[in-house]
Amino acid sequence: MKQICLIVNNKHYDILVDEHELLSTVIREKIGLSGTKIGCEQGSCGACTVLLNNKSVLSCITPVMSCDGAEITTIEALAENGHLHKLQQKFVERGAIQCGFCTPGMVMTAISLVPTLDKNESPEKLREQIKEGISGNLCRCTGYKKIIDAVIDYTLDKPISEISKSNNSVSQLKTVGKPRPYIEAEKKAKGEAEFADDISFKNALHCKFLRSIYPHAIIEEIDLRAAKKLPGVRYIATGKELPITFGVLPISQDENAIAINKVRYVGEIVAAVAADTEEIAAEACKLIQVKYKPIKAFLTIDESLNDAGDNEKIHDYGKFNNNIHKKAELRFGDQQQGLKEADISYKMDFDFEGINHGFTEPHASIAFWDENGLTIHTATQVPHYLHRALAKVMEVPLSRVRVIKPYIGGGFGGKSDPFAHEIIVAHLARKTGKTVKVRLTREEVFLTNHGRHPTKMTIKMGFSKDGYIQVLDADVAIDGGAYGSFGVVTTYYNGVLLQAPYKLSNFGFRTYRVYTNKPQCGAMRGHGAVNTRFAVESIIDDLSYKVKIDPCELRMKNFLDSNTITVGQYRITSNGSRESLQKVMELSDWENRFGKLEKGHGLGVACGFFISGSALPIIWNELPQSVVHLKLDFDGRVLVTSGASDIGQGSDTMLAIIVAEVLGINMENIFVLGADTLLTPVDFGSYSSRVTFMAGNAAKDAAENLRKELIESISKQKQVDKLDFYFENDRIFTNDKSVDLSWLEAVEILTAKRGAVSVSGKYISPKLGGDFKGAGAGLSPSYSFGACVTEVKVDIETGQVDVVNIWGAHDCGKAINPLAVEGQLEGSWHMGMGQAVSEQMKYYKGMLLNNNFLDYKIPTSLDTPDINSSIIETFDPEGPFGAKEAGEGAIHPVIPAIANAVYNAVGVRITKLPISSEDILNKISENELFNNKIIQ
Amino acid sequence: MAIEKQYIKANTIEDAISEAANNSGNFVFLAGGTDIFPNKFQENNLSDCLIDISNIDELKSINHSDDFLVIGALTTLDELRKNDFIIQNFPTLIEAAISVGTPVIRKSATLGGNLLCENRCHFYNQSAWWREAAGHCLKCGGDICLANGGKKYCYSKFVSDTAIALISLNAKIEIASKTKTEIIPIEEIYSGDGINHLKLDETSIIKSIQIPLNKTVKSVYMKLRHRKSMEFSSLTTSVTLFKDEKIKIVLGAIAPNPIIIEGKKGDNYQDIIDIASKKSKIVVNDNYSRAYRKNMIHVFLNRCFVELQLIEN
Repeated sequence: MKQICLIVNNKHYDILVDEHELLSTVIREKIGLSGTKIGCEQGSCGACTVLLNNKSVLSCITPVMSCDGAEITTIEALAENGHLHKLQQKFVERGAIQCGFCTPGMVMTAISLVPTLDKNESPEKLREQIKEGISGNLCRCTGYKKIIDAVIDYTLDKPISEISKSNNSVSQLKTVGKPRPYIEAEKKAKGEAEFADDISFKNALHCKFLRSIYPHAIIEEIDLRAAKKLPGVRYIATGKELPITFGVLPISQDENAIAINKVRYVGEIVAAVAADTEEIAAEACKLIQVKYKPIKAFLTIDESLNDAGDNEKIHDYGKFNNNIHKKAELRFGDQQQGLKEADISYKMDFDFEGINHGFTEPHASIAFWDENGLTIHTATQVPHYLHRALAKVMEVPLSRVRVIKPYIGGGFGGKSDPFAHEIIVAHLARKTGKTVKVRLTREEVFLTNHGRHPTKMTIKMGFSKDGYIQVLDADVAIDGGAYGSFGVVTTYYNGVLLQAPYKLSNFGFRTYRVYTNKPQCGAMRGHGAVNTRFAVESIIDDLSYKVKIDPCELRMKNFLDSNTITVGQYRITSNGSRESLQKVMELSDWENRFGKLEKGHGLGVACGFFISGSALPIIWNELPQSVVHLKLDFDGRVLVTSGASDIGQGSDTMLAIIVAEVLGINMENIFVLGADTLLTPVDFGSYSSRVTFMAGNAAKDAAENLRKELIESISKQKQVDKLDFYFENDRIFTNDKSVDLSWLEAVEILTAKRGAVSVSGKYISPKLGGDFKGAGAGLSPSYSFGACVTEVKVDIETGQVDVVNIWGAHDCGKAINPLAVEGQLEGSWHMGMGQAVSEQMKYYKGMLLNNNFLDYKIPTSLDTPDINSSIIETFDPEGPFGAKEAGEGAIHPVIPAIANAVYNAVGVRITKLPISSEDILNKISENELFNNKIIQ
Repeated sequence: MAIEKQYIKANTIEDAISEAANNSGNFVFLAGGTDIFPNKFQENNLSDCLIDISNIDELKSINHSDDFLVIGALTTLDELRKNDFIIQNFPTLIEAAISVGTPVIRKSATLGGNLLCENRCHFYNQSAWWREAAGHCLKCGGDICLANGGKKYCYSKFVSDTAIALISLNAKIEIASKTKTEIIPIEEIYSGDGINHLKLDETSIIKSIQIPLNKTVKSVYMKLRHRKSMEFSSLTTSVTLFKDEKIKIVLGAIAPNPIIIEGKKGDNYQDIIDIASKKSKIVVNDNYSRAYRKNMIHVFLNRCFVELQLIEN
């Protein structure tokens, strides 16, 4: 240990450090400034950027000893006297902050970048320079667009603008429909929002895991003796201590927190150590001796479809003598006959690699037990299901578990299962009687996975010669990895979510999910439907060239209408497919440009749709899907409590907007308390794009109930008829002004002789769907629709694809907060682009090769075009103020739109993702279409 | 008991060399640290002693005489970009420098450090746990190459982008060791062995890089990578046409060392490309297939020759 001096944010610190300690650890843990984030530990995400003597550095790869005597500036230093720095203000105002985890690093990078920029450059050049300058900072939420906007505004010293882009066509709405920053945006901009790893408890123990080095093996012996002797080791847990299984779905309770008897993937937890420090825990893991007896590993879909030998099945349960986890099949009409009768028929194979959510905040949890039972602060999208899983595995009543969600650095589906590490820290905390903390490394995050399933499929479609879809038959196999997760749902979604946005009368599918000895797959943005959507949109595109009908026109012909029922009995209410497609055609100048670009340069189009929340709960019961409580007290403040999980998508802000709108009060009177299972009523969580629709409706219901209470008490006191009350601009009044009260005066009347008033609101989905097995899959009270046009340039000698433009339009019903909706859309299109051109999970003998942000290739700001987003509003009859989802649906069209643009550019039909330069190159040379340039 | 970890700040070259000698076999020189620390995190670099040379001022200057541009080894990649003399005379060095890592990395990463950047392979650049699970490869003490199954050679790829540009410009390197200071062509410090890719004495220090002035007609630089930022190379090429009509073709990321071919104007360029392809030792150790990277050697060199107007498009 050495003593050094650091001047951090103008404050002098003399601290003892280990000689190889990193600046990031010292800043976060010894100085206690947790605004600086650790996202990758290896200098490849930028979240830890700070200034060292005014120069930006990555603190996670900077040795603190080299900073002796130096001045360090962290995000916490930028705001002065409580006022945000102008750059931070611009981040807030522009909606450049979603989850907020990359924000501190991004702001610090931008702060050092801006003085080097030439303000007199053209806007395009300035944009390019900023893109280059921030290209070492990964953001998974925004698609970078709003970040670049914020930096440009600040560079050009643009004044803080008033809310500008209101596309409000229902003019009586005061709060709904106005673009606004998240209510917590300032806190995130300042680096003050606490994420799970930022929460510190005194004397907490640290947990580390020993993980399997075999994909499939019997655990013969675990020798803990040497590890237990290491000073500072407090407890070592093995699988036997946690015999109860869990899983997010009641039908797939197939996971133990720590492997018992056998391991099923490389990376599965075999033992967990709680120790005084993270280093000791890690050291102890190395001292644990495990004797394994390897058994045959099943690593691909094909291997798992084959019969398995004795004791080779990955899981014992299941009807088949192989590793098939789930089969799903539904048929409407006779597909074989339909294909025979079709004028034009297609049969195409597609192949997709698995991908990972890539959220910037690694998983972290911290747990303790006290007189109230278990409390856990954890990075989760669904506190409610974790609550249930913890009670089950810990064998305590539901009333003894409290799950608290801090700020979450992105989820995208990857934080929606109950996780082994959450259960383990709860267990270790109970065993040691201390607070126990765990944070996963980026490698461990990749091993935890639950990402998009690798998928193989054969899709058959039949069309009439004038381009109408006559039949669709999908045969899909998905690679689930070692455990169930959401897989049964994924299995169904790969089929059922093909029944829109086009009219189909003859439709069938069969999907398999297999277990393999790899990290498990689960739900990821666009859950289950992304890959089959890609296939269908590719075939429709192909058809358009064959029948010589413009691919947009072809889609227009086939769209479902509003207010209709699909072949599988989905109730379609609002439907903005046509408007969305029309919009992207206009913006991309489709009619004038499509088919008229030079060789290697192409435009592509695709459409999509998605559910606005699953109409059925995961765990069957009679609870409403969402409940929101409002408490109004003498101070006029409305406390909104909701179990909905804001993971960076802005749902807390959405709830506040809805309540403010109904009550006609200023947003400053609203305070949102979210996702604490002791304090907040049950909401099923942030998955299946359900929060705006369901929690939003519950909030609206609650606010309307509060309104009723106010009207009743005022009517009684003023002795007026209850009709004609208006709630606007912090006043409550009647047309004849017999009542004309300020908000506080009204509150005084309501609370007189009664005190604080609490009301409740709920959302229960209507009964929907058909009366057949599997009818429940994909049922939703509403569906979103959308379209994308993309423009690509393909280097015809290297095969490399450059996505140069994305125009997207998405029907979200009504944008409660247009700034947040745009952010969701831009983020979806960016993420989709990643799956299209660069992302994949690559395995070597069951081991993930690219388990870091250098090798797992999330597009950087330089790879991402300026995304042009359009919000389409169709006013859903049942959505809150007409709103439906915007978080997931948008990802569907962008991926096939890119592949279709590649076809348009070079005549190569993409059937594998990610798009490979090599494949393109190999196919170009033998491609007549391309050589003769007859692509439309 | 673990050996106490040490951090030593050297203020002069002599200090650095003598501290190195004291800690022989268990130290690493630290300049920008951008390569060392990810390797330390993954436990590929286990040196207990860090000798920080970043304070040695004499390694930081950029000067030129009539014949040479002399760049101090501690010049950061970002500083290169800002130097007008380099911008004018050696634009490919700047192209190479800004193709490394990310903007924030380039503010710390030094030219000397980039020249010494550890070779890479996706079986090697993994955590200790991963490498154990995979069965250790040749480069981390095992007895088999996981990339091609061979037992003799490690084909980890050479990833210094600036080295490729500099070697093509006939740049030399000034190396100080305990007994002498010598100036040798940069290519001579690379061994061709993927396990220990440097031929330098462990205690020696790179002082400067020296590029001959007024010798070139034009130089070109290209790098194959998946994304436009944050990538190590899958193929780097640099070709320089000199005033005496010689041509120096240098390729990186396709073997454990730079591949160098010397030619002259009027040569059969197709033959040169074929030689380059034959000399490459590509194994599947990054995101691209072997066949694709080999194919790209042709495309890239062809483009280089076109850009130098040696052949027509």
